Amino acid sequence: VTMRLVSAELVDSREILPGQWLQAFHAPALASGTRAGQFIHVRAGDWSGLVLRRPFSFNTVDLGTGIITIHFRTVGRGTEWFTRLRAGDTLDMLGPLGRPFEVDSRSRHLLLVAGGLGIAGVRMLADEAIRDGRQVVLLFGAASARDVYPSSLLPDEVEYVVATDDGSLGHHGFVTDLVPAYEAWADQAFACGPGPMLRALARLATGRRERLGVAKLGRKRGGGRPIQIGSPRARRKAFLQVSMEQNMGCAVGACLGCVVMSVTGTPQRVCREGPVFASDEIAWESGW
Amino acid sequence: VKARRRVVTTPGRAVKPKRTPTIRRAKSAIVPATPASTAPRPTVPRSPAAGTGTGSSSGAAISSPGSTGRASGTGGSTRSDRTVDLSVDLAPRRGGLVLANPILVASGTFGYGIEYGDVVDVERLGAICCKGTTLKPRVGNMTPRVTETPAGMLNSIGLQNPGVDAVIERYAPIWQRWQTPVIVNVAGESIADYAEVARRLDGVPGVAAIELNISCPNVGKGGLQFAIDADAAGAVTAAVRRVTDLPVLVKLSPNVADIRPIARAIEDAGADALTAINTLSGIAVAPDRRRPLLGNVFGGVSGPAVKPIALRVVYEVCQVVDIPVVAIGGVTELADVLDFLAVGAVAVQVGTAVFADPTLPVRLVGELSSAAAAAGHDSYASFIGTALPRQPGTPSAKGVEYRP
Repeated sequence: VTMRLVSAELVDSREILPGQWLQAFHAPALASGTRAGQFIHVRAGDWSGLVLRRPFSFNTVDLGTGIITIHFRTVGRGTEWFTRLRAGDTLDMLGPLGRPFEVDSRSRHLLLVAGGLGIAGVRMLADEAIRDGRQVVLLFGAASARDVYPSSLLPDEVEYVVATDDGSLGHHGFVTDLVPAYEAWADQAFACGPGPMLRALARLATGRRERLGVAKLGRKRGGGRPIQIGSPRARRKAFLQVSMEQNMGCAVGACLGCVVMSVTGTPQRVCREGPVFASDEIAWESGW
Repeated sequence: VKARRRVVTTPGRAVKPKRTPTIRRAKSAIVPATPASTAPRPTVPRSPAAGTGTGSSSGAAISSPGSTGRASGTGGSTRSDRTVDLSVDLAPRRGGLVLANPILVASGTFGYGIEYGDVVDVERLGAICCKGTTLKPRVGNMTPRVTETPAGMLNSIGLQNPGVDAVIERYAPIWQRWQTPVIVNVAGESIADYAEVARRLDGVPGVAAIELNISCPNVGKGGLQFAIDADAAGAVTAAVRRVTDLPVLVKLSPNVADIRPIARAIEDAGADALTAINTLSGIAVAPDRRRPLLGNVFGGVSGPAVKPIALRVVYEVCQVVDIPVVAIGGVTELADVLDFLAVGAVAVQVGTAVFADPTLPVRLVGELSSAAAAAGHDSYASFIGTALPRQPGTPSAKGVEYRP
């Protein structure tokens, strides 16, 4: 699906957690053909004084009603501006943008890892996976119980495991502490959250195959072919896919503002080659 | 002034212009639409306001005998029937860079012209300035590279690009298929770098012109920017001029004490046109206040915040050079375009505003045409230079030594 400019009408807006908002828009043109991991670039009103659009992951997409939702935290003028919108207001959205998560057709067990607002990046994948009959475990980390994503907003089929930094709910510690317990169960893992969390997960993911003694059986299709960075195949073959975040300008690949460093030494655009990358495509220790 | 205006409004009498606006560069810059000027002119309905003439309409670079006469008409209703000449030549000295309209997209905000896909019809743009191109590939600066600032943004991409050879190989074949000229923005760290990139671009089908980004550190001069030194700016322009027949535009930096000697040096070195302005140097602080926000610390400010500065620079430059000046800096609506034309620019580039509103440049083309038609002009050239000083010879306008 190619990107387009769409006018979307706000149908619902509520603060689901302190400072965190869930907004629903009627945008059938964006709902169809969008896949989990992609995002929209939303323009604040002309009178807002904001010169840049704001990128938001598709949080949920309902094909039947044409409703899409976004989930964000108020961090500045832009997000504050969005919270003041009323039902019936329309926004200019550019999307769908970026490349989606790629689930291997043979994967039965998906491990989703979200840190705080990172839930917005993987939330839609849970819907897609359940629709396709896969099992989903969602590991969620937050600072304290008051920031924990409400389980009522998740599909019943998802197994939801929570960790909090202060121990006020669930595991006392980082969400990454929970991952080793699911390492063997999961066929693929998908993560979105703060940089340090993703880096820790990438470290856990390397060498997993050797630790578990997984043998690669059968003929490897295209085995000799080098995997292209940013290709769907590179993501599908990876155990861990991460949804990256970066300050963004144009969101179409023109301004080169939102890059992350790849292992090849060429910066990759989060908006175009990403936001979803295979974890082994990213040069985590490059200091970028 | 108002009273005098009323006095001269005698029905049936052609209104004499109050003054001759300074538009010498505009004269040479605008290509008269040949078919239109020879064909019999359609009856031009004029609104009374346009007919009384404040001097702006008479300042048209292409003034036709009919343009000062008052034609009877019902006014307004047939505006859309008028064809307004929006074409402009940015290299009148060599007659080589004719744009269908004066709305360009600025370097760095439009990639290589293909990124916006179907969202923007590039064929309706005046020209596209592509991302800054260097001799060798560059990975660019550390992230974060962009952030929003009051009424603007700050960027420090660091000229990430695949190098001139890759640009030619990947994009020139696509550009060749477009009617819209593509102006390749060139950057370098030495005069030899600039000249070599220009030499490789020379004669490549699909490359219409070169825009020199001279806001780069000159390694040969201890990292001093070419743009802040008249000699260096002239030298790099001359070096590029020697190796290419392509029209050469030079992009001026506002981060200088006095732009005029630099602009003149560049003109004397053989540039076909000037673009003004590049971004203003600035920084932002990270939210935790422990370090600067940008990975490169320093960035360039752009957006509506810089418009008054861009206007001032264009105003100054237009009074000291005869080559066309293309304005950039905070254009977000038609009023901004008209402002820049009024201070002497013959064309404008839209930059930061593209991010929020990708279809803005194409829309501005239509709006400019409508505005010219509504004012009763045959060409948008009538808007050019109307706000420049009456007497270009006075020290306040010409002399570098005098500065208020």
